[in-house]
Amino acid sequence: MDNQGTPTAAPKRILCIEDEHFISELYTRALTKAGYLVDVQLDGQKGMAAAQTDVYDIILLDLMIPNITGIEVLRTLRDPRQTPKMHAKIVITTNLEQREDIRADIEKQADGYLVKAEITPKELVEFLSHLDF
Amino acid sequence: MGYFQSFLRQFRARLILIIFINNALIVADWYVVDQVVKLTGVWALVAIIAVPLLAVGIIPWISTNLLVQPTKFLWQAILHIAPHNTENVAAPKLDQLRLGRELVTNLINQVYQLASVVQAVEQSDSKRAQVLNPDFAVNALPLPLLVLDKEEKIVLVNELAAKYLGKSIADLTGQNFFTALDLSFRSDDTLSNWLKASKGKVVTADHKWERVRIGLPGQGDSLQFDLAGHYNRDNPLGYETLLILFDHTEVYSQDDQAMSFVALSVHELRTPLTLLRGYIEVFDDELGPTLNPEMKEFMRKMNASAQQLASFVDNILNVAKIEDNQLTLQLHEEDWKQLVETVVRDLNLRAGVRGITIKTDIAPNLPTVGVDRYSIYEVLANLLDNAIKYSKGTSEIYVTTMVNKDGLVETSVKDFGLGIDASILPHIFVKFYRNHRNRAQIGGTGLGLYLCRAIVDAHGGDISVNSKVNEGSTFTFTLLPYAKIADARKTGNNPAVVRNAHGWIKNHSLYRD
Repeated sequence: MDNQGTPTAAPKRILCIEDEHFISELYTRALTKAGYLVDVQLDGQKGMAAAQTDVYDIILLDLMIPNITGIEVLRTLRDPRQTPKMHAKIVITTNLEQREDIRADIEKQADGYLVKAEITPKELVEFLSHLDF
Repeated sequence: MGYFQSFLRQFRARLILIIFINNALIVADWYVVDQVVKLTGVWALVAIIAVPLLAVGIIPWISTNLLVQPTKFLWQAILHIAPHNTENVAAPKLDQLRLGRELVTNLINQVYQLASVVQAVEQSDSKRAQVLNPDFAVNALPLPLLVLDKEEKIVLVNELAAKYLGKSIADLTGQNFFTALDLSFRSDDTLSNWLKASKGKVVTADHKWERVRIGLPGQGDSLQFDLAGHYNRDNPLGYETLLILFDHTEVYSQDDQAMSFVALSVHELRTPLTLLRGYIEVFDDELGPTLNPEMKEFMRKMNASAQQLASFVDNILNVAKIEDNQLTLQLHEEDWKQLVETVVRDLNLRAGVRGITIKTDIAPNLPTVGVDRYSIYEVLANLLDNAIKYSKGTSEIYVTTMVNKDGLVETSVKDFGLGIDASILPHIFVKFYRNHRNRAQIGGTGLGLYLCRAIVDAHGGDISVNSKVNEGSTFTFTLLPYAKIADARKTGNNPAVVRNAHGWIKNHSLYRD
């Protein structure tokens, strides 16, 4: 899977777990234009199941999502007993204001933490391009 | 000493006297017999041999088993009912008495009766002692109470305080107060500061704090209370500081819910904002080249407005956090030049749509600063936003940063616009304060500068303003070089210095060696 930089590099796959349809639409558009393959899941349960297939390189995870909260999804994906194989980078994309201690705890487990209102889709692409694979 | 013990001592002394007199009488009795024998003469020899024999063997036997036994039994009864019956003396067996059984039984009964009276007296006495005992008074108080000695060690905790704090009295007693309890205050008017100010300077002092917390803000189950303190330097018992807690957890946590209302509203505001900014970007990118210059300019203004709205939403949130003591700063070492350039770059769009250029003059070799990246960003962004708003047709804003004569990193934002009237200057950092003269022309909520001052204060810096009407304003704030903050941080386990907008978030514990 670690074939970044080789001439035959397959496009990176992104899973966007986001229940706000317009936002996922905007992100998909920008990310697809930047050469990523994007799948969208609207709820936590399905999003987590999709993530656990381990076919994705990057997971964009909203925290306020139906069925299972993003924090729960993050914890499950980062727990090797529940998710033994997981190579994806997980980036939190949320508009929810967290208590500092919770935020710090989430940031520790994730590879990035973005407040959606503070970035545009292009800035998201820019951010993802700096993720270290 | 109890009543009973003194009674016992007196009784014992008298009893010894009785036994002594008793024995003396016996000896005197035999002396009379001796005299009689002497007179008869015949019996003299017998008497010389018999008397010592009797004195050594028979008389003690008689006196022990017949004459002394009653008093011995009496003594035994007294020892038996003694409250400190350490020798495990059993009750006397009265049927073994050979002499005066009836009399002795009567006497012993009286002793037992007397003992029960003594016991009652003693009990009521100890009850009275308890009334005077500080423990009793402390536990009768229907409020949590703690008493500290000169070293700020907890010397007394009442049951309610232990229960309220969820610890046992034994756990708390003897502990350093600030080690045992992690209090946070709303401002730097903290208990430890008050004690520091009171000690050695005054004999007594009283003080009250509102909305004190145990633990950090935001912890769901944290206790919130008002605290009253009484300091008494010369308390004879060493009870130097008396603290009483008034629980308001329920009331104050309702304010926490108001906070979560703000957080939720902010979330709801941010979602459409995210979309707005996203769509503007798409249009700008993809339609931009086809638009005429006027439309293009509208697009830019739309973008700038969306950005401004996003930062305003952040302002609301941060003010709410400051009000609720929830704005926590993590001071890290940062490159100030780079941070300033980031803010200026981000604000350039907003300045640009108003025809303003932001110029920077950053001194070379600035030391790194100890700041909370997100919060200090907002200070500079707010100052620049104000400068843009109040520029009134002028076209330049200067951002200057340098090390001042006190060794602090000083940053100024200078505009050449409206300026501020001298009569208004003292109020501009007050929340919701707005200059009535400008209110109609220039939008705003009066939160920006309030926020700036709170954040700069929390960084240990100062913010000030210099202004002249129609010539412009210069806002200047100072920050501590990281080296100074690192010096202050003595505890090694905390990677960042944690502060809140009202000062040190942790009372005493952060700088404790």
